[in-house]
Amino acid sequence: MAKILIPTPLRQFVEKKDSVELSGATVGDLLAALTSQYSDLRRHLFSDEGKLRSFVNIYVNDEDIRYLSKDATPVTDSDTVSIVPSIAGGRHGS
Amino acid sequence: MIKIEQAAWDVMVSHARTTYPNECCGAMLGSVDGDQKAVQVAVALENAFAGAQGAFYQLRPEDLIKADAEARRQGMDLVGIFHSHPDCDAYFSKTDLENSCPWYSFVVLSIQKGEFHHANSFLPDPDQTVAVQEELQHPR
Ligand SMILES: [Zn+2]
Repeated sequence: MAKILIPTPLRQFVEKKDSVELSGATVGDLLAALTSQYSDLRRHLFSDEGKLRSFVNIYVNDEDIRYLSKDATPVTDSDTVSIVPSIAGGRHGS
Repeated sequence: MIKIEQAAWDVMVSHARTTYPNECCGAMLGSVDGDQKAVQVAVALENAFAGAQGAFYQLRPEDLIKADAEARRQGMDLVGIFHSHPDCDAYFSKTDLENSCPWYSFVVLSIQKGEFHHANSFLPDPDQTVAVQEELQHPR
């Protein structure tokens, strides 16, 4: 089972756990398993169209899945999956 | 409400002054109880924006993963993100909103002529269309 680290504000949707262990062959499998087991979590990670929200990045260990094989990125039992937001900004554009 | 303790506040103000006239950024670690947040530790992070940093900041997700790991090690939570506005008020700009995330408090420090001036905290919505101001308590 791979370990998925849950960011603090989302723990309320996963029975207050800080990580969840699930089985799956790929990142896509894991995210599907995670959001079917904890359905309230789904809208926080995915848009209505079923796409990952623009600010959500998924990392396997230290690698962004965007630069691996995206949803098809394979995972093994020793992998840790992180849900990390993209954050930036700038003082202009008020 | 978000309350920032002295040690964390010192790190935030010092990071914002040191990086002036560029924008700085960092993570805030502490605890959450309902809508009450307490910040005990601030972690100064590198502004990863590749262009001119006087009016833009970017956090590396890898740095956030490390900050989150540090919070877990210390039995704390990652509760917020801070950044600075050099010679500019501490508002949440359109650029800030469009590149935000609804999971955290966003504290903005206004640095005027190199010195701390004032600060505000904001809670962006999931659609990145509006950020409500949150009560912020920090040491003088
Ligand atoms: Zn800003």
